[in-house]
Amino acid sequence: MADTRQIRSRKGPVTYLLRTFVIAYLAVLVVWPLYEVTARTFAPLERGAASGIGPFLERLQDPSVTYAFGLTATCAFWAVVINTVFGVGISLLLVRYQFPGRRILSVLVDLPMSVSPVVVGLALVLAYSSGKGWFGGALEAAGVFIIGSTPGMIMATAFVSLPLVIREVVPVLEEIGTDAELAASSLGADGWQIFRRITLPSIKWAVVYGVVLSLARSLGEFGAVKIVSPGAAFRGETATLLIQNRYSNYEEPTAYAAAFVLVLASVLALVVVSLIRKEDRS
Amino acid sequence: MSIEVRGVGKRYGDFVALDDINVSLPTGQLTALLGPSGGGKSTLLRIIAGLETADTGSVEIEGADATKLPPQKRNVGFVFQHYAVFKHMSVAKNVAFGLEIRAHGGLRPPWTPQKRRDKERIAQKVAELLELVHLSQFAHRLPSQLSGGQRQRLALARALAVEPSVLLLDEPFGALDAKVRKELRDWLRRLHDEVHVTTVFVTHDQEEALEVADEIVVINEGRIEQIGTPDQLYDEPANDFVMGFLGEVTRLGPLALRPHDIEVAVAPGVVGSTPGVVRRALRVGFEMRLTVDVEGQAEPVLVVLSRTHARALDLELGSRVWLSPTTGATAVAVPALGGVSV
Repeated sequence: MADTRQIRSRKGPVTYLLRTFVIAYLAVLVVWPLYEVTARTFAPLERGAASGIGPFLERLQDPSVTYAFGLTATCAFWAVVINTVFGVGISLLLVRYQFPGRRILSVLVDLPMSVSPVVVGLALVLAYSSGKGWFGGALEAAGVFIIGSTPGMIMATAFVSLPLVIREVVPVLEEIGTDAELAASSLGADGWQIFRRITLPSIKWAVVYGVVLSLARSLGEFGAVKIVSPGAAFRGETATLLIQNRYSNYEEPTAYAAAFVLVLASVLALVVVSLIRKEDRS
Repeated sequence: MSIEVRGVGKRYGDFVALDDINVSLPTGQLTALLGPSGGGKSTLLRIIAGLETADTGSVEIEGADATKLPPQKRNVGFVFQHYAVFKHMSVAKNVAFGLEIRAHGGLRPPWTPQKRRDKERIAQKVAELLELVHLSQFAHRLPSQLSGGQRQRLALARALAVEPSVLLLDEPFGALDAKVRKELRDWLRRLHDEVHVTTVFVTHDQEEALEVADEIVVINEGRIEQIGTPDQLYDEPANDFVMGFLGEVTRLGPLALRPHDIEVAVAPGVVGSTPGVVRRALRVGFEMRLTVDVEGQAEPVLVVLSRTHARALDLELGSRVWLSPTTGATAVAVPALGGVSV
């Protein structure tokens, strides 16, 4: 123990070299590119034009841009709602119950994290597209179209952010154990009362944390949505798709403005997360 | 009879946790389930509470068959070794929990007069209980601001709040330090004399059981070894396991007996006394612990006598002594081991 402390407290050239390296690495990879986006967002459109916050807001007020952000918000909202409900449910199932296939389920839950979002989109198209998909025929007959409309995009977003709530809640559930729940049941509480009054308050911060993370992930989802969405302006164009479309159509300023808003949203999520961490520890 | 356990068995895979347990626990008594760790006593308690189900047999509480009832319908209070307090609720809220659940299940809207009456009744009951466990001044604190002993008293108050027909405590003092432990068990005894609810507690500490319980059930390897009052168990142990578990035991010839029940003489006077040589002498406070090598016995005999007695006999290392059981000593015959001769 004493040895490591000695090593840690010594600030030799290696320490400074490592620090410089980490700072340079972050600057090259994160800070500089993001600075460029921010700078371009507020730069004048052409020589002599107005710069700053005014034109930025103007670009955001374009109807196709507000539509795109509206759609992103809708998809993210429903994806988060679905993932919160199922995430807490699956976590309880994984931690509190023993059943055959439990470990397989536990692995499957992680799958969306490791599979490329594009593959997720493709899989959803194969399973649900009208006519040729597995359920496509039946859904089409019922008048429900998933691929190429908002439900499909919500499904894609939900799929991709599924593990985030679960991975936050499972360790907390394991840590709190079952004693308090058993005590509540011996005091006469039924299953729902135990969940509502004992379990949920104990995992509250983990759930909130997971929700914020899934929200950040959902707002930025691109690959999976790209495949299932028609992707045209006013027709399934989310904020991320809008950025790509505008950027490739030489409307870069709009792309920068939208990108800046997404950056802002993720920074906000990070701030909220760090506040929650602090709250949780106290 | 308040609790009737008949033919209860429980297995975990190949491991037999409980094997055909039959016991009846009378109303109003404080009973200890005593035994070594892993002997099945906690499992039995959890089966009585409904927190675990028995593979075979039945459990009757207050004359009603409870074998298939879920824990919330059994009207038992359960106290856990690690308190299991509700960490996010204040002390008062913890105690009120069971009462609130029973009063309305949270379904009645808050403006009805009935709800207000419930609320007043609950507040009064909570105040009484906190008084009983000496936690009144902590009513608005969170459990994390209480000491271990206070948390366990809180858990007791919470369990008592619903006026259970039986109170079950699973190693209630196991997680506390020695001093608090002792205080709390005196307090539990006094509380029981006040409240008179049928109480069963699990412990592996024989001193705790002997001191607190009206009746002790000794459980080992999933079977009941003996049931009786502390005096019966101590004075008339059914077998050498019970004898060994309730206190120190040494072997003198064919007998297992307590080290303080051995008479020491410095001359061969008593008929049937066994000669030996003092090999070690250890003084612990007022008592003297001698290790005596006896002819024809592989393991040495342990003898405990008072410091004054030892001094009067003028004992020292290498002294020749003659050992015999004190008249009226508690002794159990043990199966002869190799090398025993009398």
